Amino acid sequence: MTSALLEIAGLHAGYGSIRVLWGVDLAVRTGETAVLLGANGAGKTTLLKCLAGLLPARGGAIRWRGEDITRLPARVRVRRGLCHMSELGIFPDLTIAENLDLGALFVDRATARRRRAELYTLFPILAERRHAAAATLSGGQRKMLGIARALAAEPALLAMDEPSAGLSPKLVGTVIESLARCRAAGLALLIAEQNVRFLDLADTVFTLEGGRAAAALTPDAVRQDDRLRRAYFGMGM
Amino acid sequence: MLAYALATGIVFGLYFALVGIGMNLVFGVMRIVNLAHGDFIMLGAFSAFWLLAVLHLPPPAAIVLGFVAFFLAGLPVYYALVPRLARAREPEMLSLILFFGLSQTIEALAAMLFGNSERSIPGRLLGRGPVHLLGQTMPRAWVYAAAVSLAMLGLVWLYLHRTRLGRQTRAIMAARQEAVAIGIDIHRISAIAFGIGAGLAAVAGVFAPFMLGSFTPALGIPLDLTSFAVIVIGALGNPLGTVLGGVIFGVTLMLMRAYLSSFADLLPDLVLILVLLVRPAGLLGRQVRRA
Repeated sequence: MTSALLEIAGLHAGYGSIRVLWGVDLAVRTGETAVLLGANGAGKTTLLKCLAGLLPARGGAIRWRGEDITRLPARVRVRRGLCHMSELGIFPDLTIAENLDLGALFVDRATARRRRAELYTLFPILAERRHAAAATLSGGQRKMLGIARALAAEPALLAMDEPSAGLSPKLVGTVIESLARCRAAGLALLIAEQNVRFLDLADTVFTLEGGRAAAALTPDAVRQDDRLRRAYFGMGM
Repeated sequence: MLAYALATGIVFGLYFALVGIGMNLVFGVMRIVNLAHGDFIMLGAFSAFWLLAVLHLPPPAAIVLGFVAFFLAGLPVYYALVPRLARAREPEMLSLILFFGLSQTIEALAAMLFGNSERSIPGRLLGRGPVHLLGQTMPRAWVYAAAVSLAMLGLVWLYLHRTRLGRQTRAIMAARQEAVAIGIDIHRISAIAFGIGAGLAAVAGVFAPFMLGSFTPALGIPLDLTSFAVIVIGALGNPLGTVLGGVIFGVTLMLMRAYLSSFADLLPDLVLILVLLVRPAGLLGRQVRRA
Protein backbone atom coordinates (compact mmCIF):
# COMPACT_ATOMS: atom_id res chain seq x y z
CA MET A 1 0.00 0.00 0.00
CA THR A 2 2.94 2.30 0.56
CA SER A 3 5.98 3.26 -1.40
CA ALA A 4 7.82 4.23 1.77
CA LEU A 5 11.11 2.53 2.61
CA LEU A 6 10.52 3.11 6.29
CA GLU A 7 7.18 3.79 7.86
CA ILE A 8 6.50 4.39 11.54
CA ALA A 9 2.85 4.37 12.58
CA GLY A 10 1.48 5.29 16.00
CA LEU A 11 4.67 4.32 17.82
CA HIS A 12 4.56 4.26 21.61
CA ALA A 13 7.65 3.75 23.77
CA GLY A 14 9.16 4.60 27.12
CA TYR A 15 11.34 3.54 30.02
CA GLY A 16 9.81 1.98 33.12
CA SER A 17 6.83 4.08 34.13
CA ILE A 18 7.89 6.99 31.93
CA ARG A 19 6.18 7.27 28.56
CA VAL A 20 8.26 9.12 26.02
CA LEU A 21 6.62 8.52 22.67
CA TRP A 22 2.84 8.92 22.42
CA GLY A 23 2.06 7.74 18.92
CA VAL A 24 4.68 8.89 16.45
CA ASP A 25 4.01 8.80 12.69
CA LEU A 26 6.84 9.21 10.24
CA ALA A 27 7.86 7.93 6.82
CA VAL A 28 11.03 7.99 4.72
CA ARG A 29 11.10 7.06 1.03
CA THR A 30 13.98 5.36 -0.76
CA GLY A 31 16.92 7.70 -1.24
CA GLU A 32 15.21 10.47 0.68
CA THR A 33 16.66 12.47 3.56
CA ALA A 34 14.40 13.23 6.50
CA VAL A 35 15.44 15.47 9.35
CA LEU A 36 13.80 14.93 12.71
CA LEU A 37 13.79 18.13 14.73
CA GLY A 38 13.19 18.14 18.44
CA ALA A 39 14.42 19.82 21.58
CA ASN A 40 16.45 17.91 24.16
CA GLY A 41 14.22 15.36 25.82
CA ALA A 42 11.63 15.41 23.04
CA GLY A 43 12.21 11.73 22.39
CA LYS A 44 14.52 11.74 19.36
CA THR A 45 16.96 9.24 20.86
CA THR A 46 14.10 7.06 22.11
CA LEU A 47 12.57 7.00 18.65
CA LEU A 48 15.86 6.01 17.02
CA LYS A 49 16.45 3.31 19.64
CA CYS A 50 13.05 1.80 18.87
CA LEU A 51 13.85 1.96 15.20
CA ALA A 52 17.16 0.14 15.74
CA GLY A 53 15.55 -2.49 17.96
CA LEU A 54 17.41 -1.40 21.09
CA LEU A 55 14.21 -0.50 22.91
CA PRO A 56 10.94 -2.43 22.54
CA ALA A 57 7.97 -0.56 21.12
CA ARG A 58 4.94 -0.53 23.42
CA GLY A 59 2.50 0.08 20.64
CA GLY A 60 2.27 0.98 17.00
CA ALA A 61 4.27 -0.43 14.12
CA ILE A 62 7.56 -0.01 12.30
CA ARG A 63 7.43 -1.14 8.68
CA TRP A 64 10.43 -1.66 6.46
CA ARG A 65 9.72 -2.03 2.75
CA GLY A 66 6.13 -2.76 3.71
CA GLU A 67 7.02 -5.54 6.17
CA ASP A 68 6.33 -5.22 9.88
CA ILE A 69 9.68 -5.28 11.71
CA THR A 70 8.45 -3.94 15.06
CA ARG A 71 9.42 -7.10 16.94
CA LEU A 72 12.53 -8.11 15.02
CA PRO A 73 15.90 -8.07 16.85
CA ALA A 74 18.45 -5.39 16.04
CA ARG A 75 20.74 -7.66 14.05
CA VAL A 76 17.99 -8.66 11.63
CA ARG A 77 17.23 -5.00 10.93
CA VAL A 78 20.90 -4.28 10.24
CA ARG A 79 20.99 -7.25 7.88
CA ARG A 80 18.05 -5.81 5.93
CA GLY A 81 19.81 -2.47 5.50
CA LEU A 82 18.38 -0.41 8.36
CA CYS A 83 21.39 0.95 10.27
CA HIS A 84 21.69 3.11 13.32
CA MET A 85 24.41 5.52 14.36
CA SER A 86 24.29 6.55 18.00
CA GLU A 87 25.89 9.67 19.42
CA LEU A 88 28.90 7.58 20.47
CA GLY A 89 28.98 5.73 17.18
CA ILE A 90 32.26 3.84 17.71
CA PHE A 91 34.08 1.29 19.87
CA PRO A 92 36.78 3.38 21.58
CA ASP A 93 38.98 0.44 22.62
CA LEU A 94 39.20 -1.05 19.15
CA THR A 95 41.34 0.19 16.30
CA ILE A 96 39.89 2.15 13.42
CA ALA A 97 40.33 -0.78 11.05
CA GLU A 98 38.58 -3.08 13.54
CA ASN A 99 35.71 -0.61 13.89
CA LEU A 100 35.24 -0.62 10.12
CA ASP A 101 35.42 -4.41 9.96
CA LEU A 102 32.70 -4.64 12.59
CA GLY A 103 30.54 -2.30 10.55
CA ALA A 104 30.75 -4.78 7.67
CA LEU A 105 29.57 -7.72 9.79
CA PHE A 106 26.98 -8.86 7.25
CA VAL A 107 28.76 -7.83 4.07
CA ASP A 108 30.68 -10.43 2.08
CA ARG A 109 34.47 -10.20 2.13
CA ALA A 110 35.06 -8.88 -1.38
CA THR A 111 32.43 -6.17 -1.08
CA ALA A 112 33.70 -5.23 2.36
CA ARG A 113 37.24 -4.85 1.06
CA ARG A 114 36.14 -2.65 -1.87
CA ARG A 115 33.92 -0.63 0.44
CA ARG A 116 36.76 -0.14 2.92
CA ALA A 117 39.03 1.22 0.19
CA GLU A 118 36.30 3.68 -0.81
CA LEU A 119 35.80 4.78 2.78
CA TYR A 120 39.52 5.31 3.28
CA THR A 121 39.53 7.51 0.17
CA LEU A 122 36.51 9.40 1.47
CA PHE A 123 38.08 9.88 4.93
CA PRO A 124 41.88 9.93 4.47
CA ILE A 125 42.49 10.58 8.17
CA LEU A 126 41.02 7.16 8.96
CA ALA A 127 43.37 5.45 6.50
CA GLU A 128 46.34 7.23 8.03
CA ARG A 129 45.48 6.14 11.56
CA ARG A 130 43.89 2.80 10.78
CA HIS A 131 45.88 0.86 13.39
CA ALA A 132 45.36 3.39 16.19
CA ALA A 133 42.66 2.92 18.84
CA ALA A 134 39.50 4.84 18.00
CA ALA A 135 39.74 6.49 21.43
CA THR A 136 42.80 8.43 20.23
CA LEU A 137 40.77 10.24 17.57
CA SER A 138 39.46 13.78 18.09
CA GLY A 139 35.72 14.39 18.41
CA GLY A 140 35.30 15.23 14.74
CA GLN A 141 37.38 12.27 13.62
CA ARG A 142 35.31 9.96 15.78
CA LYS A 143 32.18 11.20 14.07
CA MET A 144 33.83 10.49 10.71
CA LEU A 145 34.65 7.00 11.90
CA GLY A 146 31.07 6.55 13.13
CA ILE A 147 29.73 7.53 9.72
CA ALA A 148 32.30 5.38 7.92
CA ARG A 149 31.47 2.40 10.10
CA ALA A 150 27.76 2.84 9.45
CA LEU A 151 28.41 3.11 5.71
CA ALA A 152 30.55 -0.04 5.79
CA ALA A 153 27.35 -1.94 6.54
CA GLU A 154 26.00 -0.89 3.11
CA PRO A 155 22.76 0.45 4.56
CA ALA A 156 19.68 1.42 2.57
CA LEU A 157 18.75 3.81 5.36
CA LEU A 158 20.99 5.27 8.02
CA ALA A 159 19.35 6.69 11.14
CA MET A 160 21.65 9.12 12.93
CA ASP A 161 21.35 10.50 16.43
CA GLU A 162 22.66 14.09 16.49
CA PRO A 163 25.66 13.77 14.21
CA SER A 164 26.58 17.39 15.02
CA ALA A 165 26.71 16.90 18.80
CA GLY A 166 29.95 18.19 20.27
CA LEU A 167 31.39 19.32 16.95
CA SER A 168 32.74 22.73 15.96
CA PRO A 169 30.85 24.59 13.20
CA LYS A 170 33.65 23.76 10.76
CA LEU A 171 33.41 20.04 11.53
CA VAL A 172 29.63 20.17 11.24
CA GLY A 173 30.25 21.44 7.72
CA THR A 174 32.50 18.46 7.00
CA VAL A 175 29.91 16.03 8.33
CA ILE A 176 27.17 17.60 6.21
CA GLU A 177 29.42 17.44 3.19
CA SER A 178 30.08 13.74 3.61
CA LEU A 179 26.41 13.04 4.23
CA ALA A 180 25.51 14.98 1.09
CA ARG A 181 27.80 12.65 -0.84
CA CYS A 182 26.10 9.58 0.65
CA ARG A 183 22.73 11.04 -0.20
CA ALA A 184 23.84 11.60 -3.76
CA ALA A 185 24.84 7.94 -3.89
CA GLY A 186 21.26 6.94 -3.08
CA LEU A 187 21.40 6.44 0.69
CA ALA A 188 18.27 7.33 2.62
CA LEU A 189 18.92 9.26 5.83
CA LEU A 190 16.93 9.92 8.96
CA ILE A 191 18.81 12.53 10.96
CA ALA A 192 17.72 13.52 14.45
CA GLU A 193 19.12 17.01 14.97
CA GLN A 194 18.83 20.37 16.64
CA ASN A 195 21.25 22.04 14.25
CA VAL A 196 19.49 24.10 11.58
CA ARG A 197 22.26 23.56 9.02
CA PHE A 198 21.04 20.01 8.47
CA LEU A 199 17.91 21.46 6.85
CA ASP A 200 20.07 21.94 3.76
CA LEU A 201 20.19 18.17 3.36
CA ALA A 202 16.53 17.54 4.04
CA ASP A 203 13.81 16.52 1.63
CA THR A 204 11.31 16.41 4.47
CA VAL A 205 11.31 17.61 8.04
CA PHE A 206 9.45 16.09 10.98
CA THR A 207 9.16 17.89 14.27
CA LEU A 208 8.95 15.89 17.46
CA GLU A 209 7.07 17.60 20.26
CA GLY A 210 5.61 16.10 23.40
CA GLY A 211 6.32 12.62 22.10
CA ARG A 212 4.37 13.09 18.86
CA ALA A 213 5.71 13.77 15.38
CA ALA A 214 3.96 16.43 13.37
CA ALA A 215 3.19 15.97 9.68
CA ALA A 216 6.01 16.17 7.18
CA LEU A 217 7.09 19.69 6.28
CA THR A 218 9.38 20.99 3.61
CA PRO A 219 12.62 22.59 4.82
CA ASP A 220 11.44 25.94 3.48
CA ALA A 221 8.23 25.73 5.44
CA VAL A 222 10.27 25.23 8.60
CA ARG A 223 12.54 28.15 7.77
CA GLN A 224 9.56 30.43 7.19
CA ASP A 225 7.57 29.39 10.23
CA ASP A 226 8.30 31.84 13.04
CA ARG A 227 7.12 29.57 15.79
CA LEU A 228 9.24 26.65 14.63
CA ARG A 229 12.24 28.87 14.15
CA ARG A 230 11.93 30.18 17.64
CA ALA A 231 11.32 26.72 19.07
CA TYR A 232 14.28 25.01 17.47
CA PHE A 233 16.89 27.47 16.40
CA GLY A 234 16.52 30.54 18.56
CA MET A 235 16.06 33.97 17.00
CA GLY A 236 19.37 34.25 15.23
CA MET A 237 18.37 32.11 12.27
CA MET B 1 65.78 -17.34 49.31
CA LEU B 2 64.75 -14.08 47.61
CA ALA B 3 65.74 -15.35 44.17
CA TYR B 4 63.84 -18.57 44.74
CA ALA B 5 60.75 -16.69 45.89
CA LEU B 6 60.87 -14.46 42.82
CA ALA B 7 61.39 -17.31 40.36
CA THR B 8 58.66 -19.54 41.80
CA GLY B 9 56.49 -16.45 42.18
CA ILE B 10 56.63 -15.85 38.44
CA VAL B 11 55.93 -19.53 37.70
CA PHE B 12 52.96 -19.61 40.07
CA GLY B 13 51.92 -16.16 38.89
CA LEU B 14 51.45 -17.39 35.34
CA TYR B 15 49.36 -20.24 36.70
CA PHE B 16 47.26 -17.84 38.81
CA ALA B 17 46.68 -15.77 35.71
CA LEU B 18 45.21 -18.88 34.09
CA VAL B 19 43.10 -19.45 37.22
CA GLY B 20 41.66 -15.94 36.96
CA ILE B 21 41.39 -15.28 33.25
CA GLY B 22 38.20 -17.22 32.66
CA MET B 23 36.41 -15.30 35.38
CA ASN B 24 37.71 -12.03 33.98
CA LEU B 25 36.63 -12.83 30.43
CA VAL B 26 33.12 -13.61 31.64
CA PHE B 27 33.05 -10.42 33.72
CA GLY B 28 34.34 -8.33 30.82
CA VAL B 29 31.73 -9.57 28.38
CA MET B 30 28.71 -10.12 30.61
CA ARG B 31 29.38 -7.89 33.66
CA ILE B 32 28.65 -10.96 35.73
CA VAL B 33 30.80 -12.29 38.56
CA ASN B 34 30.84 -16.03 38.01
CA LEU B 35 31.22 -17.29 41.56
CA ALA B 36 30.99 -20.85 40.24
CA HIS B 37 34.32 -20.31 38.45
CA GLY B 38 36.30 -21.85 41.32
CA ASP B 39 33.99 -24.87 41.26
CA PHE B 40 34.55 -25.31 37.53
CA ILE B 41 38.28 -25.44 38.39
CA MET B 42 37.55 -27.96 41.15
CA LEU B 43 35.67 -30.15 38.67
CA GLY B 44 38.62 -29.77 36.31
CA ALA B 45 40.85 -31.13 39.08
CA PHE B 46 38.59 -34.18 39.41
CA SER B 47 38.71 -34.68 35.65
CA ALA B 48 42.49 -34.58 35.81
CA PHE B 49 42.44 -37.12 38.60
CA TRP B 50 40.42 -39.59 36.52
CA LEU B 51 42.05 -38.89 33.19
CA LEU B 52 45.66 -38.82 34.42
CA ALA B 53 45.86 -40.97 37.54
CA VAL B 54 43.10 -43.49 36.74
CA LEU B 55 42.96 -43.76 32.95
CA HIS B 56 46.64 -42.83 32.50
CA LEU B 57 45.99 -40.56 29.52
CA PRO B 58 48.91 -38.37 28.42
CA PRO B 59 48.65 -34.85 29.96
CA PRO B 60 48.12 -33.01 26.64
CA ALA B 61 45.09 -35.22 25.96
CA ALA B 62 43.69 -34.44 29.41
CA ILE B 63 44.13 -30.72 28.79
CA VAL B 64 42.41 -30.77 25.39
CA LEU B 65 39.62 -33.07 26.58
CA GLY B 66 39.05 -30.94 29.66
CA PHE B 67 38.86 -27.74 27.65
CA VAL B 68 36.51 -29.13 25.01
CA ALA B 69 34.19 -30.87 27.49
CA PHE B 70 33.89 -27.82 29.75
CA PHE B 71 33.48 -25.47 26.79
CA LEU B 72 30.57 -27.56 25.54
CA ALA B 73 29.08 -27.84 29.03
CA GLY B 74 29.37 -24.07 29.51
CA LEU B 75 27.10 -23.25 26.56
CA PRO B 76 23.86 -24.68 28.01
CA VAL B 77 24.74 -23.26 31.44
CA TYR B 78 24.99 -19.85 29.80
CA TYR B 79 21.68 -20.14 27.98
CA ALA B 80 19.92 -21.48 31.06
CA LEU B 81 21.08 -18.70 33.39
CA VAL B 82 22.39 -15.54 31.80
CA PRO B 83 19.69 -14.35 29.34
CA ARG B 84 17.24 -14.56 32.27
CA LEU B 85 19.58 -12.42 34.37
CA ALA B 86 19.92 -9.82 31.66
CA ARG B 87 16.17 -9.22 31.81
CA ALA B 88 16.20 -8.71 35.58
CA ARG B 89 16.12 -5.28 37.16
CA GLU B 90 19.50 -5.55 38.90
CA PRO B 91 21.43 -8.15 36.91
CA GLU B 92 24.75 -7.66 38.70
CA MET B 93 23.43 -8.21 42.21
CA LEU B 94 21.26 -11.07 41.06
CA SER B 95 24.20 -12.70 39.28
CA LEU B 96 26.16 -12.82 42.52
CA ILE B 97 23.34 -14.64 44.28
CA LEU B 98 22.59 -16.96 41.38
CA PHE B 99 26.17 -18.00 40.76
CA PHE B 100 26.83 -18.35 44.48
CA GLY B 101 23.92 -20.78 44.49
CA LEU B 102 25.33 -22.63 41.51
CA SER B 103 28.71 -22.77 43.26
CA GLN B 104 27.16 -24.26 46.41
CA THR B 105 25.20 -26.77 44.37
CA ILE B 106 28.24 -27.95 42.45
CA GLU B 107 30.28 -28.24 45.64
CA ALA B 108 27.55 -30.20 47.44
CA LEU B 109 27.02 -32.54 44.48
CA ALA B 110 30.75 -33.14 44.17
CA ALA B 111 31.00 -33.90 47.90
CA MET B 112 28.08 -36.35 47.67
CA LEU B 113 29.31 -38.10 44.55
CA PHE B 114 33.07 -38.10 45.08
CA GLY B 115 33.44 -37.74 48.87
CA ASN B 116 35.23 -35.09 50.92
CA SER B 117 38.59 -36.84 51.24
CA GLU B 118 41.72 -35.11 50.00
CA ARG B 119 43.05 -36.38 46.70
CA SER B 120 46.32 -35.79 44.97
CA ILE B 121 48.01 -36.82 41.73
CA PRO B 122 51.69 -37.85 41.68
CA GLY B 123 53.77 -35.05 40.18
CA ARG B 124 55.75 -37.53 38.09
CA LEU B 125 52.73 -37.88 35.77
CA LEU B 126 53.79 -34.54 34.28
CA GLY B 127 57.40 -35.70 33.86
CA ARG B 128 60.17 -36.84 36.17
CA GLY B 129 63.03 -34.92 37.68
CA PRO B 130 63.47 -31.27 38.61
CA VAL B 131 63.87 -28.45 36.11
CA HIS B 132 66.35 -25.58 36.21
CA LEU B 133 64.63 -22.33 35.41
CA LEU B 134 65.53 -18.71 36.16
CA GLY B 135 68.58 -19.96 38.07
CA GLN B 136 66.45 -22.09 40.40
CA THR B 137 65.54 -25.74 40.69
CA MET B 138 61.84 -26.58 40.83
CA PRO B 139 59.45 -29.49 40.17
CA ARG B 140 58.81 -30.26 36.52
CA ALA B 141 55.04 -30.12 37.08
CA TRP B 142 55.23 -26.44 38.10
CA VAL B 143 57.11 -25.48 34.98
CA TYR B 144 54.73 -27.58 32.89
CA ALA B 145 51.78 -25.73 34.40
CA ALA B 146 53.40 -22.32 33.87
CA ALA B 147 54.22 -23.11 30.24
CA VAL B 148 50.68 -24.29 29.47
CA SER B 149 49.28 -21.25 31.29
CA LEU B 150 51.39 -18.96 29.16
CA ALA B 151 50.25 -20.77 26.03
CA MET B 152 46.58 -20.52 27.03
CA LEU B 153 46.94 -16.80 27.80
CA GLY B 154 48.51 -16.35 24.38
CA LEU B 155 45.63 -18.22 22.76
CA VAL B 156 43.12 -16.00 24.55
CA TRP B 157 44.95 -12.96 23.20
CA LEU B 158 44.92 -14.40 19.69
CA TYR B 159 41.22 -15.19 19.96
CA LEU B 160 40.35 -11.68 21.12
CA HIS B 161 42.58 -9.82 18.67
CA ARG B 162 42.90 -11.99 15.60
CA THR B 163 39.50 -13.59 15.02
CA ARG B 164 36.13 -12.23 13.94
CA LEU B 165 34.42 -13.67 17.00
CA GLY B 166 37.10 -12.18 19.24
CA ARG B 167 36.68 -8.77 17.68
CA GLN B 168 32.95 -8.95 18.34
CA THR B 169 33.72 -10.04 21.91
CA ARG B 170 35.90 -6.96 22.42
CA ALA B 171 33.23 -4.76 20.87
CA ILE B 172 30.74 -6.00 23.48
CA MET B 173 33.29 -5.31 26.24
CA ALA B 174 33.88 -1.80 24.92
CA ALA B 175 30.30 -0.66 24.28
CA ARG B 176 27.54 -3.18 24.77
CA GLN B 177 24.58 -1.29 23.37
CA GLU B 178 26.59 -0.12 20.41
CA ALA B 179 27.44 -3.76 19.74
CA VAL B 180 23.76 -4.69 19.71
CA ALA B 181 23.02 -1.75 17.41
CA ILE B 182 25.47 -2.85 14.73
CA GLY B 183 23.99 -6.32 14.71
CA ILE B 184 26.30 -8.38 16.92
CA ASP B 185 24.49 -11.42 18.33
CA ILE B 186 25.22 -10.70 21.99
CA HIS B 187 23.98 -14.03 23.32
CA ARG B 188 25.93 -16.10 20.81
CA ILE B 189 29.19 -14.25 21.48
CA SER B 190 28.63 -14.25 25.24
CA ALA B 191 27.81 -17.96 25.29
CA ILE B 192 31.07 -18.66 23.49
CA ALA B 193 32.95 -16.44 25.96
CA PHE B 194 31.26 -18.27 28.84
CA GLY B 195 32.23 -21.61 27.29
CA ILE B 196 35.83 -20.44 26.87
CA GLY B 197 35.80 -19.27 30.49
CA ALA B 198 34.67 -22.73 31.60
CA GLY B 199 37.24 -24.40 29.32
CA LEU B 200 40.03 -22.26 30.79
CA ALA B 201 38.82 -23.18 34.27
CA ALA B 202 39.09 -26.84 33.30
CA VAL B 203 42.69 -26.41 32.15
CA ALA B 204 43.50 -24.54 35.37
CA GLY B 205 41.82 -27.41 37.19
CA VAL B 206 43.98 -30.02 35.49
CA PHE B 207 47.03 -28.39 37.09
CA ALA B 208 45.41 -27.54 40.43
CA PRO B 209 46.39 -30.85 42.09
CA PHE B 210 50.02 -30.29 41.09
CA MET B 211 50.20 -26.63 42.07
CA LEU B 212 48.19 -26.83 45.29
CA GLY B 213 49.35 -30.26 46.47
CA SER B 214 45.91 -31.79 46.96
CA PHE B 215 42.27 -30.97 46.40
CA THR B 216 38.75 -31.57 47.76
CA PRO B 217 35.28 -30.47 46.59
CA ALA B 218 35.70 -27.41 48.85
CA LEU B 219 38.42 -25.98 46.60
CA GLY B 220 35.99 -23.65 44.81
CA ILE B 221 35.65 -20.74 47.21
CA PRO B 222 39.39 -20.23 47.91
CA LEU B 223 40.01 -20.34 44.16
CA ASP B 224 37.27 -17.77 43.61
CA LEU B 225 39.03 -15.49 46.08
CA THR B 226 42.36 -16.03 44.34
CA SER B 227 40.80 -15.36 40.94
CA PHE B 228 39.09 -12.28 42.22
CA ALA B 229 42.29 -10.90 43.74
CA VAL B 230 44.24 -11.61 40.55
CA ILE B 231 41.75 -9.91 38.25
CA VAL B 232 41.14 -6.95 40.52
CA ILE B 233 44.90 -6.32 40.71
CA GLY B 234 45.17 -6.46 36.91
CA ALA B 235 41.95 -4.78 35.86
CA LEU B 236 38.40 -6.05 35.98
CA GLY B 237 37.14 -6.79 32.52
CA ASN B 238 40.58 -6.58 30.91
CA PRO B 239 41.75 -10.15 30.28
CA LEU B 240 45.32 -9.11 29.53
CA GLY B 241 45.64 -7.26 32.82
CA THR B 242 45.11 -10.66 34.38
CA VAL B 243 48.64 -11.70 33.42
CA LEU B 244 50.12 -8.80 35.34
CA GLY B 245 47.72 -9.43 38.22
CA GLY B 246 48.67 -13.12 38.30
CA VAL B 247 52.41 -12.46 38.38
CA ILE B 248 52.13 -9.78 41.06
CA PHE B 249 49.94 -12.11 43.11
CA GLY B 250 52.32 -15.06 42.59
CA VAL B 251 55.45 -13.15 43.52
CA THR B 252 53.79 -11.59 46.58
CA LEU B 253 52.53 -14.98 47.69
CA MET B 254 55.98 -16.55 47.41
CA LEU B 255 57.63 -13.64 49.22
CA MET B 256 55.07 -13.96 52.00
CA ARG B 257 55.68 -17.70 52.21
CA ALA B 258 59.41 -17.10 52.42
CA TYR B 259 59.43 -14.32 54.99
CA LEU B 260 56.04 -14.23 56.72
CA SER B 261 54.76 -17.72 56.19
CA SER B 262 52.05 -17.66 58.86
CA PHE B 263 50.34 -14.76 57.07
CA ALA B 264 50.53 -16.19 53.55
CA ASP B 265 46.93 -17.45 53.56
CA LEU B 266 45.68 -13.93 54.27
CA LEU B 267 47.20 -12.70 51.06
CA PRO B 268 44.20 -12.72 48.68
CA ASP B 269 42.17 -10.68 51.15
CA LEU B 270 44.99 -8.25 51.93
CA VAL B 271 45.79 -7.63 48.27
CA LEU B 272 42.13 -7.16 47.43
CA ILE B 273 41.64 -4.59 50.18
CA LEU B 274 44.84 -2.77 49.28
CA VAL B 275 44.09 -2.54 45.58
CA LEU B 276 40.50 -1.51 46.15
CA LEU B 277 41.70 1.27 48.46
CA VAL B 278 44.49 2.57 46.28
CA ARG B 279 43.47 1.85 42.70
CA PRO B 280 39.89 0.60 42.52
CA ALA B 281 40.06 0.28 38.73
CA GLY B 282 43.02 -2.12 38.96
CA LEU B 283 46.62 -1.40 38.07
CA LEU B 284 45.90 -1.39 34.34
CA GLY B 285 42.48 0.16 34.84
CA ARG B 286 42.46 3.00 32.35
CA GLN B 287 45.78 3.10 30.56
CA VAL B 288 45.56 -0.23 28.78
CA ARG B 289 41.94 0.25 27.86
CA ARG B 290 42.79 3.54 26.21
CA ALA B 291 46.21 2.72 24.77
